[in-house]
Amino acid sequence: MTRKLRAKVLVPALAGAAMTIAAAGSMAGATTSAHDVHTSREASRHVELRVQPPAGGTISEAGSSLLYPMWNVWAPAYETAYPSVTLQTAAGGSGKGISYAINGTVQIGASDAYLSSSDLQQDPALENIPLAISTQEVFYHLTGVTAHLRLSGKLLAEIYQGKVTKWNAPAVRSLNPGAKLPDIPIVALHRSDGSGDTFLFTTYLSDSTSVWAKKVGYNTSVTWPKAPHELGETGNSGMVAGCKATPGCIAYIGISYQTQALGDGLTYGRLKDGVGQYVMPTQKTIANEAAGFAAKTPKTGAISMIDGKIRTGYPIINYEYAIVSKKQPSANVAKTVRSVLEWVIDPTDGNTPSYLSQVNFRPLPAKVADNSYTQIQAIK
Amino acid sequence: MPRARRRAVFTVLFRAGTVLALLLVLSPAVWLLGGVVAKAVPHWQWNVLWTNLRGEDGGLLGPIVGTLVLMAGVLLIAGSVGVLAGIHLAELGRPGRHGGPGGTWLRMASDVLAGFPSIVLGYVGYVALVVGLHWEFSLLPALLVLSVMVVPYIAKATETALRQVPVSYREGAEALGMSMGHSMRKVVLKSAAPGIVTGLLIGLAIAGGETAPLLFTAGFSSTVWTGSLVHSQGFGYLTYLVYQFWSYPVKHANYLSYDAGLILVVMVLLLLVAARVIVARTQRHSEYRGR
Amino acid sequence: MATLEGAADQQSAAPGRHVELRRPPRLARMAGVLRAGETGAWKWGARVAVLLPFAALAFVVAVLAVKAYSAVEVNGTGFFTGAAWKIGSTYAATTRTDGVAHPVGSSYGAWPLIAGTLQTSAIAVIIALPISIGCAFALTERLPRWVSRPLGFAIELLAGVPSVVLGLWGVLTFGPALSKTLYPFIADHLPNVPVLSFFKGTVGHGEGLLTGSLVLTLMIVPIITATTADLFRQVPSLSKEGGEALGMTDFEVANRITLRWVRSGIIGATVLGLGRALGETMALVLTVGAIFQLAPNVYSPMSTIAAAIATQLDSSLTDGTGFAVASIAELALVLAVISVFVNLVARWIVHHTSRLGGPVGRGT
Repeated sequence: MTRKLRAKVLVPALAGAAMTIAAAGSMAGATTSAHDVHTSREASRHVELRVQPPAGGTISEAGSSLLYPMWNVWAPAYETAYPSVTLQTAAGGSGKGISYAINGTVQIGASDAYLSSSDLQQDPALENIPLAISTQEVFYHLTGVTAHLRLSGKLLAEIYQGKVTKWNAPAVRSLNPGAKLPDIPIVALHRSDGSGDTFLFTTYLSDSTSVWAKKVGYNTSVTWPKAPHELGETGNSGMVAGCKATPGCIAYIGISYQTQALGDGLTYGRLKDGVGQYVMPTQKTIANEAAGFAAKTPKTGAISMIDGKIRTGYPIINYEYAIVSKKQPSANVAKTVRSVLEWVIDPTDGNTPSYLSQVNFRPLPAKVADNSYTQIQAIK
Repeated sequence: MPRARRRAVFTVLFRAGTVLALLLVLSPAVWLLGGVVAKAVPHWQWNVLWTNLRGEDGGLLGPIVGTLVLMAGVLLIAGSVGVLAGIHLAELGRPGRHGGPGGTWLRMASDVLAGFPSIVLGYVGYVALVVGLHWEFSLLPALLVLSVMVVPYIAKATETALRQVPVSYREGAEALGMSMGHSMRKVVLKSAAPGIVTGLLIGLAIAGGETAPLLFTAGFSSTVWTGSLVHSQGFGYLTYLVYQFWSYPVKHANYLSYDAGLILVVMVLLLLVAARVIVARTQRHSEYRGR
Repeated sequence: MATLEGAADQQSAAPGRHVELRRPPRLARMAGVLRAGETGAWKWGARVAVLLPFAALAFVVAVLAVKAYSAVEVNGTGFFTGAAWKIGSTYAATTRTDGVAHPVGSSYGAWPLIAGTLQTSAIAVIIALPISIGCAFALTERLPRWVSRPLGFAIELLAGVPSVVLGLWGVLTFGPALSKTLYPFIADHLPNVPVLSFFKGTVGHGEGLLTGSLVLTLMIVPIITATTADLFRQVPSLSKEGGEALGMTDFEVANRITLRWVRSGIIGATVLGLGRALGETMALVLTVGAIFQLAPNVYSPMSTIAAAIATQLDSSLTDGTGFAVASIAELALVLAVISVFVNLVARWIVHHTSRLGGPVGRGT
């Protein structure tokens, strides 16, 4: 359950089905043809992924602030489909999602990061079930610079270590010839609360920069090296607001906050992937990366999908997890929890792009959805 | 500088200083309140007051009811405990060593509690009540934690108000043969009422405006309170939405956050007005001057 | 309306007493028991109620102590001197120190947080105290009632604004605006001498020690002002009028009579504000920039104990060994101790100055 599960090997070929489905998902925006693909898949999958009716009652969800907007879309839709259930949603952070699931305060914990071995030591009955695919973007606030700057893990690591301190420093200019970079300090924003976003970002830095891996490492909360200009912010919303107020800032922000960040005058960069390309976070590049990792995803669902050396694959994506105990207090609660989660991962229900696109999430590849379905059936 | 001149200068400086002090507080206050109003008013819709919250859609009915229930509950629990504790500190405690007021340790416990970070109280509530007693996120743990926060303020306000009741009132009551309890209810508390009401008001404002401890004890729920004290799988209130929705990635949710902020400020405003009215009505019974 | 009710009360009270004397002995005894019962109820109710805050405090401290025990044991004195707050790698294997399990690489030093708590509170109180006294004078002594009443109302309203709303305004509007206007002015014009040099340097973008302290100031000014204004109203007008009759200016009356009369009460009011400042969480989480460092200058981001508890609790919960949460509990205990210490010092000061002051204000 530790780092060894993390995929470091390049996957030569993609499973055909996974590719089709991921592509279908990525294109099923408004076009009819995409919709057709989608429904035909639905027909073929119907027996396999079936949403069974709930027993009714109230189910609580709490945790990740990145998943919170998603659950707020899912909950009313599920309640409309199954009026006997009330689905309470709350934010709080991934750490709370995990610990609330451990002590039974909520039935469904939400987390951007998979369970650690010590979490599983505390409660071996816990599962992390992938629900959807999220992406992280690196934003900056530079007045007059509308181009998507090229950023590499190495450059970002140097910025967050305080080695590159100005936007017009040679290290930034060499990656972005021709860009009009202002002579202002770089203010490195990081999350001061424990965060799955920090986990993803520091994993990306660790993978691309051995100094970072040795000195700082990756975690939901790390000891940040001293940079001459830095700020800590709470939540993705804090990152957006802080970056808006701070010209020269750089900030890693979950994709569900993209619309808001763009509206506040921030721009996201292209990130260097494992094969040396600079990739924009688009539906296609995210789907590529997800499809590349689909075959490697273990039965436990625990895998870090960073820098997969996948051609035109955006390098920072992750599964959003439901943290659920396999042992629920009663058979009825277990039945309702299963129903909710089955509905969420079903490509015709919770995983339809019309829901997911509201927060810019992407659907699970079919193989991963199958895997999640199997995990859900273990909830008793 | 001649003495008269210096006195004149000091007087002018003093007068200017008091006005400056007022401006230093009032200008940010106006700035802040104006900001809250300006954010909420342009898109304000009255139906948020009676529409249910569904995910990030709809209105604020559940959280509004929740905040009112929290206030009422705190008034009940912290109000009674705080006023009684204040009575003890002012009237019943043995005098201190130097003839000062007694109950030093009890008063200090209450002062320390008033200075305790609310998030710590919330965390203890979470560990002991939500998890320890399996109450889950619900009304009762939230009420208890809020009450612990608020009791010191009400106790202090009550104590201060009681100490201002002239001794002659008590002596008069005693001379009439009233028992201590009877005079407490009929004379002393009545005459201290304005001060006590002000303390209760502060308590209510705190109860309605707290966020940190509620995150750990009430959780959140978008539905209207069903009447259960425990095991209710979450309890909704307004400050949660201010905190979670203010820069949530959906416009309507941001609006709900601004609306919740405005509603909270209006609630505080109404509390203050209510307190003024009550104070004005009870003042005629009391010796409490000013205001 | 109120007068009518009052009159009715008095009328009913007087004959009531009269009738009571003529009651048959048995009824009189019962009435006596009832009256004694009422006194007893008040006394017992008050006795129980006054113990509840004490019990709550004991309970809270006990829970924290139990939770913090392992952290206190392992962290030792390094907790007060160290500057690094590291949870360690929760995804790697755990290790043991003194038999306590914790993740590899965890270390807990809270010095920047302890110092940060003292800094924000001290700056807030230092700024708030003169402003509050000035406001209280303006409201009670200087302005006509029709002006002072609405102004007093506005200040009370400020006291009631939820701290999360104040914090949001602080980070979105107040801080950024000051960092473009007031902060550069202060940084450029103050002389570079010890203490004041802390106010020099880069001013940042509005999240940091000074912004947090100013937001705290706005929170505690209403508290101190309200209490101080109440105290001023209690200064007997005879003394003030006497001073005026002797030809004192209003400054001299304020300085020599009013302030002296309420000195110990103002200390009490300040401690009330200080208590609020030490424990404030939400507004500071949003405005201080939340970096775990000793602020190099007054505009730099930093953090306080309460803000750190709020921001670190979530990630601490991901430490399956529970050691991170234990360290958070230790942090909370430290804050409690600071709080008690400040109270004790204030009490000592009140005790040693109260003999100089007037009879009012002992209540606070």
